[in-house]
Amino acid sequence: MTAAIELAGVTRRFGAVEALAPIDLTVEAGEIVTVVGPSGSGKTTLLRIVGGLVEPTAGTVSVDGSSPHDARAAKRIGFVPQSPALLPWRTVEANARLLLDVNRRRANPNNGPTPTELLADVGLSDFAGAYPHELSGGMQQRVALVRAVALGAPLLLMDEPFAALDEITRGDMRHLLARLCEPLATTVLFVTHSIAEAVFISDRVAVLSARPGASSGSKPSISPAHASPQSRMSHRSSRSRGDSAHSSTKASGDEA
Amino acid sequence: MTARRIVLAAVTGVVVFGFAWELFVRIFDVEPFILLPPSEIIAELFERPSYYAEAAAVTGRHAASGVLISLAVALVVGSLLAAWRFLEQAAQPVLVLILVAPWVAYFASIVVWLGRGDPPVIFLVAFVSMPVFVFASVAGLRSADPAARELLASVDASRMEVLWRLRLPAAVPSLLATARYVTALALAAAYYGEGGNLSNEGLGAIGRRAANGQNGPVLWATVLATVLLGVAGLGLITLLERVLLRWHVSQRARSPR
Repeated sequence: MTAAIELAGVTRRFGAVEALAPIDLTVEAGEIVTVVGPSGSGKTTLLRIVGGLVEPTAGTVSVDGSSPHDARAAKRIGFVPQSPALLPWRTVEANARLLLDVNRRRANPNNGPTPTELLADVGLSDFAGAYPHELSGGMQQRVALVRAVALGAPLLLMDEPFAALDEITRGDMRHLLARLCEPLATTVLFVTHSIAEAVFISDRVAVLSARPGASSGSKPSISPAHASPQSRMSHRSSRSRGDSAHSSTKASGDEA
Repeated sequence: MTARRIVLAAVTGVVVFGFAWELFVRIFDVEPFILLPPSEIIAELFERPSYYAEAAAVTGRHAASGVLISLAVALVVGSLLAAWRFLEQAAQPVLVLILVAPWVAYFASIVVWLGRGDPPVIFLVAFVSMPVFVFASVAGLRSADPAARELLASVDASRMEVLWRLRLPAAVPSLLATARYVTALALAAAYYGEGGNLSNEGLGAIGRRAANGQNGPVLWATVLATVLLGVAGLGLITLLERVLLRWHVSQRARSPR
């Protein structure tokens, strides 16, 4: 397998604040890797760096063999933000098509399912003409997931997408994510607060924790010990996405 | 509240106000050159309906043309100001100056510059309406959901695409809300401009002549016709809100308090 994401010595500072301590991380193509950690530990910053939305202060980032900016420009990254970020004036179907409608010159050679097919797959066919405010939170998040998957991008970046959902809906969404990504062999970098969610969803879990030596004494930062080289697939579970039994094979820690 | 109940409430308010006005004038025997009873104003309006309707059409055209021009200019200027905060801060004093400067102080100069007839009136309407629309467009364009902005950035959407697909639709509610205020402002500016544009068209021109001749019924009939234009304008904006803002919380069924 070739690496879909490679980070080497990546850091990010916002002024005097170190938002992301040096991290090395490799994610193989088709792999689902979850990043867990407390608030402020830099999970979202890490995701945004990989997505080319934020430049690292130091270090190198490679996405699918190119820079994050090039991958983003080529529409090779599907992004699922924490809030569904559906456009309230667009119908469900139009929202599902949004990322395809934007930057059309760089459309992926997409042989995958269409937004209409994906909406049917997630049980939202009857709501294709509805507006986002007419949907529940879980349904809105399903549309957000469809919107990202419909792009046909080989990499999905997911920033705590299920955080605002109740536990039952979260469970459904985890299964849905596995079901949608499995046939397309999509690489997923998934940020969450939930250890259980991380264990259920992913092949590996990278843990960001508060660094004991941080200058403020309390500012969380990334512990390099949780990333490469230890986290580089030192063991990989026999993942069977959508099968809850595989969660028992996982462990959290430096790398699960 | 249903549309029928809204109309009923509005009509009730107008009728009650009209009765109170009529009673006040008759009970206190107010002089005609100070205040006329509404019955006399309405009688004057219905005595020559086509005369006032034609003048109202001219005033409406002046106001609508000016508003559309100001909206177009404001969207371009607002997009630039929303993108560059320094530019916005530099433009703020100028916009406030335009907004607060009394028309009477400079309208004669506009007439000298643009000549008599429609151009100075339309320019005045557009000029005084533009700052309000600019403020609304800047606020509206900036109100776009940051998560949605980041989402579009994740597929390298161009500035124009972000503007067209995200920022402009997000600005529509504030633009339509502002249009209600601008309607009144534009009609007042059109009325004033028609009174001083050396032309004889429009309600403002009739009103100006009536004021000079101390013809109270005609003067107040032009005022009432202008009010009716304003009501029509607000009705049109309400209709636009119903169509364009079906998704917006302001247009959804009322929720419990």
